[in-house]
Amino acid sequence: MTAQYLLRRLIQVLPVAAGIVLILFVLVHTAPGDPVLALAGEHGDAAYYAFMRHRFGLDRPLPEQLAVYVGRVVRGDLGLSYVHGRPVARVIAERVPATLLLTGTALALSSLAGVALGVWAACRRDRSVDLTVRAGALVAHALPPFWLAQVAAITLALGTGLFPVQGLTDARQALTGWRYLVDVVHHLALPVLVLAAGELALMTRLTRTGLLEALRMDYAQTARAKGLSERRVVYHALRNALLPLVTVVGGRAGMMCTGAVLVETVFAWPGVGQLMLSSIQTRDIPVLLGIFLLVSVTVVVVNLVTDLTYAWLDPLVRYE
Amino acid sequence: MHRLRRMTALLLGLATFTLPLGPVMAQDSPSRGGALVVAISADPGHLNPAITTSGATHTAAELIYNGLLGRDQHGDATPDLAESWTVEQSGAAYRFRLRDGVTWHDGARFTAADVKFTFEEVLLKFHARTKASMGGVLAGIDTPDDRTVIFRFKQPYAPLLQQLDATEAPIVARHIYQGGDPQTHAANVNPVGTGPFKVVSYRKGAEIRLARNAAYFKAGLPYLDEIVMRIIPDANTQVLALENGEVDFLWGVPGPQQNHLRADARFRMAQTSYHPGGSNCIMTVSFNLDRLALKDVRLRRAIALALDREAFLSQVLFGEGKVAMAPISSEIMWAHARGLSLPRFNRAEAERQLEAAGWKKERDAIRVARGVAGVVDGTRLAIDFLHFPTFAKYGELMRQHLGAVGIDVNLRPLEPAVFAPTVFKDRAFDTNVISYCNGPDPEIGVRRMYHSSQIGPAPFTNAAGYRNERVDALFDQAARTVERDRRTPLYRQIQEVVVQDLPYVWLVETPTTRAWTARCAGFKAWTGLFAEEAFCKR
Repeated sequence: MTAQYLLRRLIQVLPVAAGIVLILFVLVHTAPGDPVLALAGEHGDAAYYAFMRHRFGLDRPLPEQLAVYVGRVVRGDLGLSYVHGRPVARVIAERVPATLLLTGTALALSSLAGVALGVWAACRRDRSVDLTVRAGALVAHALPPFWLAQVAAITLALGTGLFPVQGLTDARQALTGWRYLVDVVHHLALPVLVLAAGELALMTRLTRTGLLEALRMDYAQTARAKGLSERRVVYHALRNALLPLVTVVGGRAGMMCTGAVLVETVFAWPGVGQLMLSSIQTRDIPVLLGIFLLVSVTVVVVNLVTDLTYAWLDPLVRYE
Repeated sequence: MHRLRRMTALLLGLATFTLPLGPVMAQDSPSRGGALVVAISADPGHLNPAITTSGATHTAAELIYNGLLGRDQHGDATPDLAESWTVEQSGAAYRFRLRDGVTWHDGARFTAADVKFTFEEVLLKFHARTKASMGGVLAGIDTPDDRTVIFRFKQPYAPLLQQLDATEAPIVARHIYQGGDPQTHAANVNPVGTGPFKVVSYRKGAEIRLARNAAYFKAGLPYLDEIVMRIIPDANTQVLALENGEVDFLWGVPGPQQNHLRADARFRMAQTSYHPGGSNCIMTVSFNLDRLALKDVRLRRAIALALDREAFLSQVLFGEGKVAMAPISSEIMWAHARGLSLPRFNRAEAERQLEAAGWKKERDAIRVARGVAGVVDGTRLAIDFLHFPTFAKYGELMRQHLGAVGIDVNLRPLEPAVFAPTVFKDRAFDTNVISYCNGPDPEIGVRRMYHSSQIGPAPFTNAAGYRNERVDALFDQAARTVERDRRTPLYRQIQEVVVQDLPYVWLVETPTTRAWTARCAGFKAWTGLFAEEAFCKR
């Protein structure tokens, strides 16, 4: 892998991002719904709606609006939010840390725990542990996050009284320092659990299947014949079994952003997902475009990182 | 075991019906201090209620501001920033005397210039309701001295006193906004008001923290030291948060969960027709009078007779509300007409009306046209019904009730932002259901439904496309008549006419239910300054 390859891949991101901007702009603007109506409510008169439409530039032809928007994006300006009256980049940036904390933790937790459970089940194939893990994974994978979130809030929060049902922090006290961190972790527990559950199930099933297949390969049999302990054999087989998981984890990055919409809404988590939902409801087009752009570029970049990780994990993979 | 019972009750509560509310509990004597956590449904984006009619902003921000006037629980005007007022020139001029000694949160003095600036530079440009209702008739605002404001109108203007509270006309500071763009001004997220609470912090998407305004012009108020507006988009989560002790006050409770909360001694509840996004709302079925078949009042009457409005009340609203008995909300008591002959549920009579109108039952369950003017014989009696997705249950009942008399109903759920242009601009519908909010005065929220000048693309106006010269004239007369006892008979005549013409079917009045923890009291559920006199036991 050379620096030239990396540079070439990074440059390839640009036309992809441009295409994404174009498609998203046309899609969002041609979708039914009037942002001025969403903003002004039901009691305005025709003059008011015309005034607001002009103010937001919505009375101009769509190609002209697109040209203005692209010109701004090239300069790093995502425009002004209709609802917030502030720069879109700032509106979104305020929400990114909360979403990163939620999705990052969920992704890390589901990946680590999923691999561990998958290995555990594969090493005890068809025994009670394996059957339990497989059944649990099947159920967890099938549960809709929205429903699971409601049930978790009712049972684990209200039922036990151990967890809060909403927010990033306790509304009753403005904590600082390590108390603040503990408070955030306390509030993070349920949303992460719900968001990670589906991912955890997928990772567990993939790890188990991949490892069982690798353990049947000739090199694993050879290793056993050479007298290596089963633990060492599993270690070697696992590295090969994990390769498909890298693709899955990379591919889930975008899903985690969109999947977080439901979880953020149920648990009142102040992240990008919640902002996206409210922006759809209020037809805040600049914010929506900004979020879609962020998610799209994130997916493109994560795909690049995934490809690079492949080369690091598998000596047979080379990039030119 | 106790927790298990609570969980079971809660889960069951999600699917159970509720009963009408009991009386509001008696309040304890007020005490100073403490904090109140209020659940709000959306991030307001900013905290300037003068530039928007958005319910999200008004819910979060009205405690930071005041209007010239307030409102009591009957909807009548009370002093607020203005301590007194007089109506002059038969309602063509209103003179207000402002309170002395009112200061903004930054210490600057509040004067009449702030009122003039707010109306001329902010409300009449950006507040949709104020601009639409007052913009065309206001001739000017005079401020002969720092404590006097005079509104001059081109003709007598009746509803002004109902349009001056913090919901309709919050007053903002001239010294803050002058020279800037009110829509993008930095003060919109760090506001300076005159209200009982001032902003301490605004964490986007999470919460707004307000602190007591020690210099508030109403002696001794507010009682609370702090209010936290916690943003919780999901209504079920709001209820769970109340039960878990994380929040103290909810602006609304979903119907299925009301019984459950009411049975719990830890909470109090009250109904109100006030909401910052729109008050005194009636769920109303509109007929598109441009459609040939629907021009026949017999078909419209048959549909009205076939709808069991009690079923809408019990099955959709879980009893939270009342069957509409007149076109104007019963909450506007002086304008609401009693004893009108609205069509009552009568399936047999509905069938007779349909037969008389030429819609016959033959082999199919759905009726067909036989001699209906302008309709090809054999045409099936099928209508579409547009509704917001949140009003899906209205559609289901509509289809069920009309199906029983041989009318096929095709449900078309549309997002609000799509619904409005489809109905008002394209007029591509047969029937629909709209929550028409009458507002504090019929001139604000009722006129738009019936006056022929209100037919057009502007959303949530005259959806039926109803034209009646007599009704137009009566509305115009009522708008110019300031004395309430002279307006009442005018609105009664209007209601008598439209009940005969039936451009709409008025289904149910839909108040909302506030809920709060029993350790707090003193809420004024009928106003945006709902926590001005609230207090909580520590």
